Amino acid sequence: MNGVGEIQLQQLGAPLTIALLAFFFGGTFLISLSISRRKENADGYMTAGNGIGFGVSAASMTATWIWAASMYASATSGYTYGISGPIHYGLWGALMILFIYPFGRRIRALAPEAHTLAEIMFARHGRSSQLMLAGSNVLGSLLSLTSNFIAGGALISMLSPISFSQGVVIIAAGVLLYTLWSGFRASVLTDFVQVCAMLGAVVIIVPAVFFAAGGPSVFVEGAGNLTAEQSTFFSSDAFLNQGAPYIAAVLAYAIGNQTIAQRLFAVREDLIKPTFITATVGYGATIIGIGMLGVVALYLGIEPMNGDVNNLIPQLASTYLGPVLLSVFFIMIVGSLASTADSDLSALSSIMMADIYGRNIAGGKNANPRTMLFVGRITMIVATAAALYFAGGRMNILDLLVFVGALWGALVFPVIASFYWDKVTNAAFTASVLAALAVFLPVRFGWIPMEGVTGLVFDVFAVIGIGVVAGLMVFGFFGARAGRITGTLAALAAAPFAIGFLHDYAVLSSSLLAYAVSTIVCCALSVRSKRRFDFRLIAARTGNFDEEDAGQASPGRARPATAR
Amino acid sequence: MQTFLMAAYVLVWPAVVAGVLFFIARAFIREWRQAREDGVPMI
Repeated sequence: MNGVGEIQLQQLGAPLTIALLAFFFGGTFLISLSISRRKENADGYMTAGNGIGFGVSAASMTATWIWAASMYASATSGYTYGISGPIHYGLWGALMILFIYPFGRRIRALAPEAHTLAEIMFARHGRSSQLMLAGSNVLGSLLSLTSNFIAGGALISMLSPISFSQGVVIIAAGVLLYTLWSGFRASVLTDFVQVCAMLGAVVIIVPAVFFAAGGPSVFVEGAGNLTAEQSTFFSSDAFLNQGAPYIAAVLAYAIGNQTIAQRLFAVREDLIKPTFITATVGYGATIIGIGMLGVVALYLGIEPMNGDVNNLIPQLASTYLGPVLLSVFFIMIVGSLASTADSDLSALSSIMMADIYGRNIAGGKNANPRTMLFVGRITMIVATAAALYFAGGRMNILDLLVFVGALWGALVFPVIASFYWDKVTNAAFTASVLAALAVFLPVRFGWIPMEGVTGLVFDVFAVIGIGVVAGLMVFGFFGARAGRITGTLAALAAAPFAIGFLHDYAVLSSSLLAYAVSTIVCCALSVRSKRRFDFRLIAARTGNFDEEDAGQASPGRARPATAR
Repeated sequence: MQTFLMAAYVLVWPAVVAGVLFFIARAFIREWRQAREDGVPMI
């Protein structure tokens, strides 16, 4: 057995680490410099003009969705749950992109030139719905930014003599450097280089580690290191603890993540489908592939350094790769965290520009594009400083992430229904989200004893949540009738197996409750509504802010400024 | 046989990633050339 303790871990050394970082961030800065304009366009800063091509958009969607944490988590899943673990992490994460695509087409059709989902909620419902969605987006992006900075600092401190704090500052400064001036335009263009680095590295590193660790013989010699559950593709342990909560989160993360919405508004409308499908396959294969390193580590009987499973991938790389491939690995992780961090900065700046300043402070048509750009850039600086502060203290962001995930889960049905059902009102939207959160929190954090009848009642609602998730997934592709039938069948099929024990799985159960309660309350408050919303108003109420240079924002075409 | 299948299971993902990377890079290069020919910015 090749225990890691028997093999000397190697580091890159400070000069090489600094050279690699200078190469990476210097290169991305030069790319961003090549497209920068002295006078940037406010709409281009947020969406790159709603007309980018397939190559750039597919690269950007893939690069943004792959972040360092997902690579580490997939390997952890492989190490913890065995051979099915990476599938239960990567497949459902990939499907998040796929399942949002039909809704994305509807959203683009309703609001061809919007900048954020929250901006559309403002046009559809009003301020409270907009600010709920925008607030959850801001919190999510800030946490993601912090997580990426922490991952960067940890990687640098593990593979070089540079300290964690110094590493965090280098990563933060590097990302801000190339994103600050041109915003989203710089983010998507640099994503292409970053996706090449990440995907290219996966192609080389996964086989390299596998063969350096012993190749196929690992599966013979290390078979005894796996339990029966870890050895099977049909592990109920892996499904219930890893896969099922992720399935429940599929729509929540896609709806709640402004980085996805931003690319949805940026890509040329006829290219939405190939972009989302390519990103689904690219993300899935990359993350599952990296997860295989966790499976290999399990077969090898490796113990994670300091007992922290997040150390597994860097540990394997530094154990089995030479200096050149270790450098490639280093660039891969830096690329993954930088591409997501620059997307988070762009998302945060768009929300502050469009939702806070543009729609709420300036009141839409009075928004000054120069002021918007100033707001966007200041937002990036403040967000970087805040994330640095949280990362510097190695703040435990897990509980906050759980809260944001629940908030997104509570938002899914009201948001999607608002794009299709003309009866949904602002009151129904707001009340349903608040009610879902009120039920989620006590269940997730165990504030209510779940013995006896209470547990059974919550299980019944959780089963309704299963129906809602399945129904929404099918509804996006096949319409309302198919969605309702699938949702009902899924709930009925799950009921005999789920009622009586689902409450034992707090993460899964609470997420499903958020879906169920928000759906029930939203439907109950909307179904008798006499008001009908005219969806054509959304396009009229959203659109460009920077009328003077509207043509500049869109590559290859000039178009008139949109009425607001 | 099972060893071979497990090895294939580990190695198929990098192969798929290589395919996706080729697909994206080819599209990007085409768009870059087109933008140059048209004299317009890519982004």
